[in-house]
Order: sequence, then C-alpha cells, then structure tokens
Amino acid sequence: MTKPLFVVLLLLHMLPAYSSDTGNLFKAPGGIIGHGGVIAHGHSEQFSGYDHTWSREVDFIRYLIGRGDYRESLFLLERVVPENNHQYDSLNYLTGWVHYQQKTLDLSATYLLKVSKESPVYRKSRFFAAYNLAHDGDAGRAREVLELTDAGSDNLYHALLGLQLGGIALLERDYAQYSSNAADFSGNHHVTAAEEQRMEHHYDQLRDRRAASPFIAGMLSAAVPGLGKVYAGKSAEGVAGFLYVAALGLTAFDFYRGSGPDSVLFVLSASAAGAFYVGNIVGSVAAARRTNQEFNHEMDQRILFDMHIPLRNAF
Amino acid sequence: MKWTNGFCLICIFLCGTLSEGVNAQTERMIKRADSLFASGNYFEASIAYERVYFESEESVSRIAANLKKAQALKQLGEYEKALVDLRRSITYRGEDSLRRELLYEMAFCAYMDGDPGDAYGLLRQFRHLYGQDSGQRVYLLEGLVLTDLMRWDALSDHLENWVLYFSDDTRLANEKILCYTEILAEKEQQARRDPEKARLWSTFIPGSGQVYAGEAGWGILNAFSQLASLGAFSAMALNGYYVAAVFAGLGPFQSFYFGGIRQAGLMAEAHEKSRRGKTLAAVREFLFNLEEELAAE
Repeated sequence: MTKPLFVVLLLLHMLPAYSSDTGNLFKAPGGIIGHGGVIAHGHSEQFSGYDHTWSREVDFIRYLIGRGDYRESLFLLERVVPENNHQYDSLNYLTGWVHYQQKTLDLSATYLLKVSKESPVYRKSRFFAAYNLAHDGDAGRAREVLELTDAGSDNLYHALLGLQLGGIALLERDYAQYSSNAADFSGNHHVTAAEEQRMEHHYDQLRDRRAASPFIAGMLSAAVPGLGKVYAGKSAEGVAGFLYVAALGLTAFDFYRGSGPDSVLFVLSASAAGAFYVGNIVGSVAAARRTNQEFNHEMDQRILFDMHIPLRNAF
Repeated sequence: MKWTNGFCLICIFLCGTLSEGVNAQTERMIKRADSLFASGNYFEASIAYERVYFESEESVSRIAANLKKAQALKQLGEYEKALVDLRRSITYRGEDSLRRELLYEMAFCAYMDGDPGDAYGLLRQFRHLYGQDSGQRVYLLEGLVLTDLMRWDALSDHLENWVLYFSDDTRLANEKILCYTEILAEKEQQARRDPEKARLWSTFIPGSGQVYAGEAGWGILNAFSQLASLGAFSAMALNGYYVAAVFAGLGPFQSFYFGGIRQAGLMAEAHEKSRRGKTLAAVREFLFNLEEELAAE
C-alpha cells in the first residue's frame, strides 16, 4: 500500500516549485514558455531572475498598471514576446491602455487598433482607439474606426456607437451627419441617455451660434477704437483699448493746439496715437478670431467629455 | 487509519516541499534584484523588488523588498514615490528592526521630498516606540528636520540628547549647545528686512524701501524715475499742455510710484529668504560636523 504512495510523492517532488500555479510549464529553446507564452530570452534572466509564465507576467503588469506605475509597466511590456494571437492582443491592449493612462493618445490608438476581433477586449479597444483619435483631432479616422467596428447584437454597444458617431459628427461640425446619427438616439440606455441629451444641447448651441466676424470687428474698431473688441465679447479689452487711444489722441491734440503740427512732441505723440489706433484695429480682428476659437475649443471639450464618460462607465 | 496517516504524511511532505520551493524562488528574486541594484541599474532593480513584493506571501520578505525598493527609488531621486510605497507597510507589526527601518526610511523620504512636517511626525512615532535608542542617522535626520522647521529651542534640547546619548559627556554637550547658539545668534543678528516696513518706506519716500531691502541701486533708479515723470508733468503743465501733462506725466508717475512700493516689498521678501537660507545652511553644516565628530569618538 505504501509503494504507490511513495511513487506519488516522488513524482510530485520532481515538479518545479511553481507547478501548482502555472499548469503546463515547460522549457523551450529561445525562451521560457508557460501557457504558450515567451518572456523574451535574456530579459527574464535580466530582471526577474526566475521562470515566469505569460499569465504571471501579465498579472504583474496589470498590478503595476493598477498602482499607476506606467513607466514600469511599459518597460516590462516592451520586453515580453507573445507567441500566439491571444497574447499579442493582450500585449497590444495593455500597451494601448498604459499609453491612454499616460495621455499619449496617438500611441494608445495605434496599439489599441492592433487588437484583433477575437479578443474579449476588442470592442473596448476600438471604442477607446476612436475616442483617442477624436481627442487628438483626427475625427475622420475616428469615424472610420467606428464604422468598421462590429458592434454585435448588444444594445449597449449600438447605443455607444451611435453616441460616439454623433459626437464625432459634431466635432467635425457636420450637422447633417449628426442629425442622421442622432436619429438613432433612443434615450433608453442608462449608460448613454444623459449624454445623448447633452449632445443634443451641444448641437443646438453650435447651430444657433453666430460666429464673430473679424472683418466687422476691425471695421467697428476703425470707427470707434475698442468697439470691435466689445463686439467680439472682450469688453474689458475694448474699454482699455479705447482709453489708451483716447489718452494718446488727446495728448497729441494738446501738443498740436499749443505748438502746431511741426512740433516734435506733437509728431511723437501723434505717431504713438496712430500706432495704438492701428494696433487696436488689428487686435480687434484677432480678438474676433480668438473668440471663435475659444468657443469651438470649449464646445469640443464638452463633446469629448460626453463621449468619454459613457465609455468609462460601459467598460 | 492507515490511509488517513498516509494522507497526512503526503500533505505534510507537500507543504514542506512547496513552501521551501517558494522561499527559494523568493530568495532568487531578491538576489537578482540585489545584483541589479549593485550594478547601478536602479530602475530595473525597483521593478525587481516590486516583483518580490507582488509574488511573496511572507510579510517579512514583502517588507524587506519594499525597503530595498525604497533604496533604489532614493537612488533615482524619487522620494515621493518611495514614501508612497513605504506607506503600504506601515501596518506591519512584525520584527522590530524592520519597523524601525521602515519608520526611519519614511521620515527620510518625507524630509527629502520637502515635507519636514511629515518627517517630524514620523520621527515622533519612532521616538514614541523606541525612545532615544537609535543610531546617529536618526539623530542627524531629526536635527535636520527641526532645522527646516526652525524649531530652534527643540533643536537645542535635541542636541543635548544626541551628544549625551553617544558620549555621555555633559561638558561636551554644553560646549556643542553653546556653539550652536553662537551660530544661530550670529546669523540671526544679520539685519532682518520686513516686507511691510519696506513697502511703508517706499510709500512715503520713493526708493527708500528698496534701499532698506539692501538694493540701493534699484532704489535710486526708482526715485529718479518718479522725479523725472513728475518733472515732465510739471513742465508740461507750466507750458499749458494740461491734457498731455496728465497722460504723459502723471500716468508714468503713478506706475513708477505704485510699482516702486510693490518692488520694495518683493525685494525685502527675497532678502529675508536668502538670510533664512544662510542660517539653515550654517546650522545644517554644524549638524553634519557634529555627526562626524561623534562617530569618530
């Protein structure tokens, strides 16, 4: 009776220490493979000092990401060599996710787009890649990515897809396209309902706003210094500009009245007044452009925010 | 009965074998991390120690790895991160030597991270747990922390404890305290510059605030600018250019006047900062010399 027991003990004793955790651990030329994965030859020797399987390495990297150690995570991710598609997907997804956390959105999108359709994180990767591209100003490519994404049969993904496409259309200021996307807004899914409403509100704001005209701003400032800036929505700047030009103009007039047009003081003060007057016109044109840019930037940020929140809630 | 005994034997044997294996694995990981550290590869060493912390299930190994990781991060100058990592182990209630090391390292990292208040709190914990029984480095750190907090009286008491603990020589302790008091008095005697006073001076006598703050050149320049703009105002007004006098004379004058008041305050603040820095540097140097002296004894 003790003989079989002894054999079992002997066999168990011959197993490596981590066998209970790693399953089919075996060594192969060029690297150490566990569950089919390879940790780059030499590197595992270099920094881990002992055999690691793919799953343990990924667990460790996930743990580092969870701690916010992104530099360390990337260092390890650059050194693991996946062996099959599943592992490639994990590697690309994790690398993309770390870059997303680090706000290097272009790199994040590049890696996330490499995740294959078979991966369980395929949809998440596609949605976040599109969002990253949109945030980086490449709305056209973001649309392409989403249009090629298979949303499957889940209502959530369809609702998300509609919202993201609508948001991208607004970022592109393509109102016809937005109306077409917004037709699919159902308001029924809790993850997207509030954002769909806000997206409609953004659309109304964008559609109803009249952009400040740089030409009109310049003309107004030519007529009354500073008025163009007031028109552009920069009232304080307009009043300050008016006071400067008026003060210099009055000073020049004072010198003109007392010393005549040939006086050095008149020439100097009149030149300064003229420079400020012209500068005020140019400043008003710039103020109108700046106001438009500020409005567009503010709207873009709001749209991106409302695209982002449902993604974070859904995944 | 026979089967039960057999089963128990297997379990005992397996537990022993596997736990020994895990320990060996941890040992290997630590050795590898240590060699990375020794070769100056601190970033990779910090990852390797974190791996030990992640993989190991023994609290002692985890604390040891955490402490070693802190050393690697210190080499990289990442004191804030080291402190955050060390805080993970604050609840450790095992070996006393590790707890002492942990508290010291946390205080050190907090101090190096520019938070002497936090460092002081941690050193208070250390003293509460271990009393005056500590190495020179803890005394030195405490002295530096008290210096940064400018708690001069507390530092004097600390110096007495420090010298008495290591030399048991009351005469030496008194001598050192006297030396410290002299350094402090010498530095503190250097003229203080109150920013409020500097602003007040410049309000009534243009440029005098800057002179008070030790920047006579700037004071003269500011006073001259104010006089020149007032002169221009007067000249224009006397010649009948009233509007021009207001805009081209009084306008610049008010800029020079109010700007001068503000500048005087800023200069006095900068002077105070520099004076304080010199005092702190002198006291720190004294503390380092004291540590060397006591170590030599």
